[in-house]
Amino acid sequence: MSHHQSAGSERRSGALTIVKRVDPPRFWRSLEARSRSPELIEASKGEFPQGADQLADEPSRRSFMQLVGASTALVGAAACQRPNQKIYPYVRRPPEVTPGNPLHFATAYSLEGYARGLVVESHGGRPTKIEGNSDHPDSLGATTALDQALILGLYDDNRARQITHRREPGLGPEPAAWRSILVMIAERSEKLAQKNGAGLRFLVDPSASPLQADLRARLSERFPQAKFVAFSAVAAEGAALGNKLAFGRPLETRHDLAQAQVILALDADFLGDGPEQVKLSRQFGASRTPGPAMSRLYVAEPCFTPTGMLADHRLRLRGSEILALAQALVVELAKQPGLDGLAPLAGLPRAAASVDARWVAALAKDLARTRGKCAIIAGRRQPAAVHALAAAMNSALRNVGATVNYATPLAIDGGVEALRGLVEDIAAGTVDTLVITAKNPVFGAPADFKFDKLLARVPLSIYCGMAEDETSAAVTTFVPVAHSLESWGDGRALDGTVSIIQPLIHPLWSQVTDTDVTAAFLGEGDKGSHDLLTTFWKKRAIGSGWATDVSFDGLWESWLAKGVVDRTAAQPESGLATNPGALAGALAPLVAKAVKGDSIEIGFAVCPKVFDGRYANNAWLQELPHPVTKITWDNAVLMSKATAARLNVETGDVVRIEAGDRHVTGPAYIQPGHADEAVTVALGYGRTVAGKLAKGVGFNAAALRDSASPWFARGVNLARTSRTIRFGITQDHWDMEGRDPVIVATLAEFHKEGSHVNEKLEQQRRPLETIHEPVDYSQQPYKWAMAIDLSKCSGCNACVVACVSENNIPIVGRENVRIGREMQWLRLDRYYEGPVEDPEVVVQPVMCMHCEAAPCEYVCPVNATVHSDEGLNEMVYNRCVGTRYCNNNCPYKVRRFNFLDYHKEPSHVDKMATNPDVTVRSRGIMEKCTYCVQRIERKRIDARVEGRKIADGEIVTACQQVCPTGAIDFGSLNDPGARVTALHADPRRYNLLHEIGTRPRTAYLARIRNPNPELA
Amino acid sequence: MASLFRPHHNVLARLSLLLLAGGAVGGLGGVFFYVRSPLARGMQDPIEQPIQFDHRHHTRDEGIDCRFCHNTVEKSPHAGIPETQLCLNCHSQIWNQSPLLEPVRKSFFEGRPINWKKVNDVPDFVYFNHSIHVAKGVGCVTCHGRVDLMPAVEKANPLTMSWCLDCHRNPEKNLRPVSEVTNMEWKPEGDPVEVGHALKEQNQVLTRTSCTTCHR
Repeated sequence: MSHHQSAGSERRSGALTIVKRVDPPRFWRSLEARSRSPELIEASKGEFPQGADQLADEPSRRSFMQLVGASTALVGAAACQRPNQKIYPYVRRPPEVTPGNPLHFATAYSLEGYARGLVVESHGGRPTKIEGNSDHPDSLGATTALDQALILGLYDDNRARQITHRREPGLGPEPAAWRSILVMIAERSEKLAQKNGAGLRFLVDPSASPLQADLRARLSERFPQAKFVAFSAVAAEGAALGNKLAFGRPLETRHDLAQAQVILALDADFLGDGPEQVKLSRQFGASRTPGPAMSRLYVAEPCFTPTGMLADHRLRLRGSEILALAQALVVELAKQPGLDGLAPLAGLPRAAASVDARWVAALAKDLARTRGKCAIIAGRRQPAAVHALAAAMNSALRNVGATVNYATPLAIDGGVEALRGLVEDIAAGTVDTLVITAKNPVFGAPADFKFDKLLARVPLSIYCGMAEDETSAAVTTFVPVAHSLESWGDGRALDGTVSIIQPLIHPLWSQVTDTDVTAAFLGEGDKGSHDLLTTFWKKRAIGSGWATDVSFDGLWESWLAKGVVDRTAAQPESGLATNPGALAGALAPLVAKAVKGDSIEIGFAVCPKVFDGRYANNAWLQELPHPVTKITWDNAVLMSKATAARLNVETGDVVRIEAGDRHVTGPAYIQPGHADEAVTVALGYGRTVAGKLAKGVGFNAAALRDSASPWFARGVNLARTSRTIRFGITQDHWDMEGRDPVIVATLAEFHKEGSHVNEKLEQQRRPLETIHEPVDYSQQPYKWAMAIDLSKCSGCNACVVACVSENNIPIVGRENVRIGREMQWLRLDRYYEGPVEDPEVVVQPVMCMHCEAAPCEYVCPVNATVHSDEGLNEMVYNRCVGTRYCNNNCPYKVRRFNFLDYHKEPSHVDKMATNPDVTVRSRGIMEKCTYCVQRIERKRIDARVEGRKIADGEIVTACQQVCPTGAIDFGSLNDPGARVTALHADPRRYNLLHEIGTRPRTAYLARIRNPNPELA
Repeated sequence: MASLFRPHHNVLARLSLLLLAGGAVGGLGGVFFYVRSPLARGMQDPIEQPIQFDHRHHTRDEGIDCRFCHNTVEKSPHAGIPETQLCLNCHSQIWNQSPLLEPVRKSFFEGRPINWKKVNDVPDFVYFNHSIHVAKGVGCVTCHGRVDLMPAVEKANPLTMSWCLDCHRNPEKNLRPVSEVTNMEWKPEGDPVEVGHALKEQNQVLTRTSCTTCHR
């Protein structure tokens, strides 16, 4: 019997012992799926994984009956009474408020020193949804996943409310009033001023805020010897240092990929991280339309990132080996005609690492070919040498001034080296007053600084934080501060554009801001940040001749309305040039000092969910599947399959990592495409003093971080422990049963007439024979549809959080994710393609397809899911009785069931975060993507009241609005001029699972890669 | 021995069977009619409000248009309950010493809203929008009844889903010129059916019955 025979005949033959050989599927989502693991196949057979319909805490039958009895009784009682509702009108209605209609306010949010413009939707005075500000240069109308989650951060019940003060370090904290803190600061600053501020230190968050800069300048006048140290656990220190080496002064790097044809990312996740993330995503997304101008992306990185997942060529290298790649590239570039100026750098001693020579040679040719229209981007984790080499190459390639610009830094830059000076001062006992507005430095500082112990030596340490954390526990005085959405301030984008940060709501708890505490040292702590801000900007506006004393108020209002202050963008430096000869001399000792050693390398990663740990108490972000691993509520020790095999470790095994005398334990996860002999751990987990969600989630990788090598270190030992854990991973739930849900091709294949991929695309959209005549929607005013471009999606997760925020989607917790109860309506399927060691990745957003022939509708016994006249697949919550037949019959597995009452007894602040335009679903209800029908209906009513049709682009779904790369489009197919109509007619268009005849309204555009023909 | 059951027991048995069946049908029917009755719907039950606001006086005697107080009705899902300030725009001049208006003055000076009781309420999963109905010529009186004759406002219509759908399926009989939406006494001139059809055309009324029209 040949092994080609079907499984059925194997079963019939009974005594058959030959194991059926199965080729791995072309696309796979996990190692288990690739090997067709029997457990996975068994687990994915049902509509939900096994056990999903069991209560997580397994109540006894008795308690179940009690619950049922009680709820029945309550239902009966509730039905007898007419709900007695009240209406509370305004006493004095603000003129801009129309009850029932939301308002939108422009503001900004600063992360890592740079602000991104936001437009926040406010319902009845409570902010409910974050959008991007299209007038802002680093937002362009979109935001990141982190920005989206600000809403939940604002309404976090675990935020601190009480100022506490210890009379001496070591004594117990006592509640204190803001007045008494002001008095204390006034007395203290009086004394400090007499000794010129000696002993006064400010440990601040990196910030480009003009107001903060002004305060710093004024503080320096009063306290000439006071010092300001900026600190962030994840600062890009290498960039400033590297640019200083290359150009002789510290400059910061700006990018402009609008014209870039070839992009090289050296461990730079420019699509998933950094102040330019949204802007570069937008520009890069625009350049991914297949055609002669399609860009090509080369990425070298140790572990997959959103940028790596979109790469045309990805080279997996350990983080410290990127330097060797940069050097090899310089050598190859120097050989290219016209680039021999790089020759002195090519002569540098080479960092030890083997780099694929063919890859580098092809890349060098590609870069030389597109000089002036290419970009080399170095990542925040890379050392100065890599940034300097990138600057030298960009300069030689004439990219400076085109795709890459350098400018005088606007933010005071902080990092490990900046903190070292402060640490030494504290250790020497010369610091007696320390004001901390940096984000949780005790948690973020390298472990060898022992910063919490050091703080005990400072007689007065004042910390401004939003919630109790590791730092608030170590200082003498903790001042809870208001959220960014509750306070006045300002910030600058990377290009210098100023935005005024205006509050959306009166502070829920503490009204004090960082600015107030800083200003208290100038005796202005009781002025309030609004007063400080307007005073400062009035002075500046009048000084710059923008306004007079009279006209300032109007100008100020226009800034608030637009969200940006015009004419504040700072010009980049021009006429910059590197001197490769001098640079080579400066780099030689750095290259010699590069990370060496034979043992496993540990790399620390900025978490795309909790960042450096500051968002650890944010449930939306914790439950967000990691863009690559799809792990929720945990971090992991990521390693390649080969490394795991050598260490005898499997996914879920808890490993102990030792570095010197420090160690942590964390669960291992085998990450396809990870560099060998290296592990990656995300920072920001394992918080010990934190809100109730953050505690006990993950392990604190920072405990291994050493100030000498904060990003990559060798000399660590890994050993398996006897413990294992089960991750809450969303990607293993539901199996696509061996079908190919994504269509991927190279540009050449796609352009070839009649090629396999074009045939396949045609096959996946051609009309199918049907028994029933399809419903004709062409006479309806609108025929809603969506198009998703897989060539643009980086899997950055912004859409998932936007959807959660817009649609009041509940959070279920790690235990429930493990058993497949996650509720997010929109999931990002991540498919690997190719060898386990070095696969390529395609990300596919999947939500309800709004099938015209929807399988869910046929099986609902109560008509709870039906079709609208315009072809929307509607979910009627109040009809749903929870049979879950619909989800069983849904081929896309996009329906979500409320197994538990996740919204039961919400606190007042929980309620404030909900969108009033969307029903809050109760237990036992099926729900799914609605194409943001609340937005459709609002626009429809607006248009109908005005007596016109809805224009194309007027309705923007939450996922579409937030998408930084512009991968999602929505509109009416009955509008021949609509963008979505054109995309549905695109040659790349195909339907997901077209063959089953569901006629989905959501179309996909195939992922087209643009590989270098030389590397084919 | 005489038989246990006599012939007249047959009658009794039949009668009790009939009663049983009748009782079941009647009971169910009773529930059926009860839930549809004005009593169960809370109709014709004037609600006592914290202030004895009399619509009769304000609309009939003073001739104030509905939209003077309910002034967001044309641009918002909510018609709007007037803010305290709006009451005092007039009542700071007239009846400014009236004890009946004491709660209004108290609200204004203390900055606390007046706690009106809701009369017309739909469930939270219903997204009713006033602006579109007014824009398409559905009069206030159509749903709210003769508020101008109510000493205390009461619910005039059942506000059940079938009541909504009756109109969404056949809106003609409830339409009027957009200029007459607040007119409590408007009557169509001529054949109501013809007028209704003409108004549907004129006001571009496209009623929808898809679920998400009201439920989201």
